[in-house]
Amino acid sequence: MNTALRDKYAIVGTGKSRLGQVGANSLALLEEAMNNALKEAGLTNKDVDGVVVRGADDIYSHHQMMAQRLGVDASFSTSLDNGGASQILSIILAVMAIEAGLATTVVCGYGRDSWSRTHSKVGAGIAQNDLIPAAQRQKEHGPEFGHFGAVSQHAFGARRHMFEYGTKRDDFAQIAMAFREHALRNPEAQMKKPMTIDDYYKARLIVEPFGMFDCSLNSDGAGAVVVTSTERARSLKQKPVLIKGFATHNNTKGWIEEDHMLSTGAVESGERAFRMAGLGPKDVDTAQIYDCFTYMVLTQLEDYGFCKKGEGGAFVRSGALRMGGVLPTNTSGGQLSEAHVEGMLQIVEGARQLQGVYGPDRQVKDAEIALISGHGGNQVCHSTLILGRA
Amino acid sequence: MAIEYKKPIPIPSHESQPYWDGLRDRKLMMPCCDDCKHHWFPPSFLCPKCNSSKWTWTQLSGRGRIFSYVVYHRVYHPAFAGEVPYAVAVIELDEGPRMYSNVIGLPPDQLSCDMKVEIVYEPITNEITLPKFKPIAA
Repeated sequence: MNTALRDKYAIVGTGKSRLGQVGANSLALLEEAMNNALKEAGLTNKDVDGVVVRGADDIYSHHQMMAQRLGVDASFSTSLDNGGASQILSIILAVMAIEAGLATTVVCGYGRDSWSRTHSKVGAGIAQNDLIPAAQRQKEHGPEFGHFGAVSQHAFGARRHMFEYGTKRDDFAQIAMAFREHALRNPEAQMKKPMTIDDYYKARLIVEPFGMFDCSLNSDGAGAVVVTSTERARSLKQKPVLIKGFATHNNTKGWIEEDHMLSTGAVESGERAFRMAGLGPKDVDTAQIYDCFTYMVLTQLEDYGFCKKGEGGAFVRSGALRMGGVLPTNTSGGQLSEAHVEGMLQIVEGARQLQGVYGPDRQVKDAEIALISGHGGNQVCHSTLILGRA
Repeated sequence: MAIEYKKPIPIPSHESQPYWDGLRDRKLMMPCCDDCKHHWFPPSFLCPKCNSSKWTWTQLSGRGRIFSYVVYHRVYHPAFAGEVPYAVAVIELDEGPRMYSNVIGLPPDQLSCDMKVEIVYEPITNEITLPKFKPIAA
């Protein structure tokens, strides 16, 4: 945590690829998003000397492949391995690289093609769970009990939270419905139909306490941002979005250890990011929270201090997360209703809310400060990014 | 086994082999640190609490509580198609370590967090016995 870096770096361009059921590979999608981000920044590949990505799990030296596609010779490039926490971490690493003199302008991004790979026309496609390369799958202490994948890992946390604090599936439904309502205002979103509480309960159960609408989408898509110094940003096309604070915290002892499934790395990461930014939860105008599952939004809202631990249910029932609420959250629809690109699209959404690019139905009024979270990496890696309007 | 066993069969590692050997002999064995008496699981080279390399495979009581549990409705592996809905739990053993298992003997909708459980040994091959858990009176 270094307050001297507050506002010293900025996001100067954001881009997305087509989202949803696209039918394209992850490298091509990320290329599309990075190209859009560079165009928005008014930059070309000649202006970029850094690339930081989270590679797909089964692609080696992914950053090199992306830089090759973009025609970038990088003085600094690498791929990250913190799961859904990687996307904010890529921006943190970009700042660190520029600060250290290793690069001047870094493009960061992530692309995903899980919809295409599970709906391949060549053969039958593969199950979503099998997207994890075989060598990385558990060989003992799990599969023999019929325990597979991220849904149930997070469902353990939801169940224990319900037991300790009286949280209900009704509360999870409030989160799913709020984000769906936001997605209806977003023409790019994968989900186009409204969701009622009846729809939520009628959806099939996946791993209780989670039903289908507690789970994020199966998507193709990519997002990218361009990071440079605020000083350099002054001569660029777009008004910069200031990087005010960031931090990470990883409960690396494990998700099922201690109280980690009830109290995430957002506690420590949030506290340090707020301190770097010189801000607190009450200063945040919009939050873009990593929503792989509904419960993860609820616990992170508590962990960031938007409400007290155990009061997340009451907080979401108050309508806080909706447009016009005290904390409009996941205003694009998030991973539950826009598209699941492991948090990358939420960075784009946070930045765009501060650029004020949206029409009145989707724009958070007078948005000055956005908080964005990333979560993943065996459920325990966390990252926080606080952005501000220039 | 008269019927072919189609569920995933654990593949022991060089570190976990003594654990599986213990289960085959109907004993729940885990590492316990000689220096700080910390029990941990899964096994690893050093005590994760004090980093001592002096530790001993030690038999545990096989009793604990359900720290959390979930109920699978979706079939992720064809061999479990006939079993949904089934419960997978995080069991916290009395000695401290937590582990994944199934809770058997009660329908999933009658389980709750903090319910007391004890180990049930379920042989699936000549080499591998699974540690499952059943509720006991508190």
